[in-house]
Amino acid sequence: MINYVLRRVLVAVPMLLGAMSIVFFAMRVLPGDPCVAMMGDQATTEALADCTKNLGLNRPLAVQYVDYLWRSLQFDFGNSLRQGYPVSEYISRMFPHTLVLVLAAAVVAALVGIPIGIFSALNRRNPLIDYPLRIFALLGLSMPVFWLGILLLIVFSLRLDLFPLIGGGDLDGAIAMIRSGEVFTQPRDFLAAVADVLHHLALPAFALGFTLAATVSRLSRSAMLEVISQDYIRTARAKGHHERAVVYKHALRNMMVPLLTIIGLFVAIALTGTVLTETVFTRPGLGKMLVDAIGARDYPLAQGAITVFTVIIITVNLAVDMLYAIVDPRITYR
Amino acid sequence: MAITRDALPELTAVGAPDERAARSPARQLRRYGPIAIGVLMALIMVVVAAAAPLLAPLSPSAQYADAVLKGPGAQDRHVLGTDEFGRDVFSRIIWGARISLQVGLASVIFAFALGVPLGIVAGVLGARVETVIMRCADMLMAFPTLLLALIIVTALGGSLVNEILAIGVALTPNFVRLARGLALTIREQDYILAARALGGGQLRVMARHVFPNALYALVVVATLYIATAIRTEAGLSFLGLGIPPPTPSWGNILSEGRQYIKCCPWITTFSGLAIMLAVLAFNLVGDALRDLLDPRLRGE
Repeated sequence: MINYVLRRVLVAVPMLLGAMSIVFFAMRVLPGDPCVAMMGDQATTEALADCTKNLGLNRPLAVQYVDYLWRSLQFDFGNSLRQGYPVSEYISRMFPHTLVLVLAAAVVAALVGIPIGIFSALNRRNPLIDYPLRIFALLGLSMPVFWLGILLLIVFSLRLDLFPLIGGGDLDGAIAMIRSGEVFTQPRDFLAAVADVLHHLALPAFALGFTLAATVSRLSRSAMLEVISQDYIRTARAKGHHERAVVYKHALRNMMVPLLTIIGLFVAIALTGTVLTETVFTRPGLGKMLVDAIGARDYPLAQGAITVFTVIIITVNLAVDMLYAIVDPRITYR
Repeated sequence: MAITRDALPELTAVGAPDERAARSPARQLRRYGPIAIGVLMALIMVVVAAAAPLLAPLSPSAQYADAVLKGPGAQDRHVLGTDEFGRDVFSRIIWGARISLQVGLASVIFAFALGVPLGIVAGVLGARVETVIMRCADMLMAFPTLLLALIIVTALGGSLVNEILAIGVALTPNFVRLARGLALTIREQDYILAARALGGGQLRVMARHVFPNALYALVVVATLYIATAIRTEAGLSFLGLGIPPPTPSWGNILSEGRQYIKCCPWITTFSGLAIMLAVLAFNLVGDALRDLLDPRLRGE
């Protein structure tokens, strides 16, 4: 077990390095000089040279590369070209918004996707049930999240005026209250802030969650199908267990093991989804920050955002692999 | 390793289906219905894209000053309404099919042509070659498709070729992994042993024996990735990183229409519908093909 964990971590390290190198070099071949982007076309040659020196862009590429890796390890991505603040500060401010969105979408996806998958698997011989559910999954898989988001905005924000059109709510306020302890002294204000966050979160979480639910329902369907064909299920039935007990006590618990592996997949899809979802709903977050940074040619900000995305995905996958090995001891590293 | 992404086909083995039940008409309809619908939708899309100049009632770039932001049926000539420049949305969507299909097909062909040989080489040769190829693939797999395509297209700039290249590269590791997995199984077969006994070299074994036997499964999965590619293209264009306007692509029609969702929701509604139908078509074909042709990849 320890051997497996160690080897798995050792494999993740070069992967992380490689992925970060891709980000670094991709950002270096970008068209346009960051200094020109920052200071405009009217800047004098001296000013540009000064800026290049300040940003350390006049150093050899290899030095810049090592410097970037070393600073990234310390969560230092330099300053944003446009706003001047440290990128890490931006990321820490935006991260909670994205985290909340991903978590809420995960709840929606699990609540919708897992029951549908199980129900579809148990009723696979009944086309009247299985077929519509599979069509639902296909539709969810095919529907771009940004389109669903716009449709939701048109109906629920513009026509019915039930949800806000833009923004992420007072998440910063809620977090500040937790930090300062005001959550206990002024619980009413805190609840108001949370309600505001949830109000802003409902539509984006539903849009992202619905598209993810399709994937979850498909995977839970095949996980369930695999489990119910196992011998121990037959044994449970042969012992005279009620079908409901067979499903809930035996099948469901075992089905969760293969379902665990999809968390990694899920995080990757959900994080990509946030780029589009946050843009559609004009919500603050890492995804929107990345798109805005690319649009504004703010390379340090874009580089920081992509690095964080990649680190999260690799780390989650690593964690899932370990969790999987703990849950199912038959798994060893080959 | 659990570095996976997108909706990969579920690799679950199944038992043999009941022969008698398989022949009933209802079962037949269930089996061939989705593929028929999917193929029909995909064919319609291909025809629409190919015959865009003939099918589009108006020019996609012509601006009608008398019909700015008019709803469907306006002036008796704009079936799906017009956009902020008075351009016909229906004609733009028809022309947009070209971009989506071009990017969808070309990027998958690119990924296939690059990824499959690498995957087969890794699977058949093994050892260090395999380690190097697979670690590179894993590294790229750490990025979700859209994110990787986004990085590449930002670095190269938005154009048709760059978008194809970006999505192609982003999809390549999927083909490397799949081809390697298939090659690992195939290389253990007796006919490979026979081919080697007859004096076949590595290259011959890979090209004449491993590749043809892996082709079925690869083509099935390639169809599914066309759907992914079309969706990714739409996403990139939506973010303003794809084909620059005024060339119509479904993503940029939708993106431009976003500012007018309050007054003129038809622009975003219809362009989004086009994206969904196209993705659905290839998902249907891919799913059905997988169920029909390759029980090893079947999801039930």
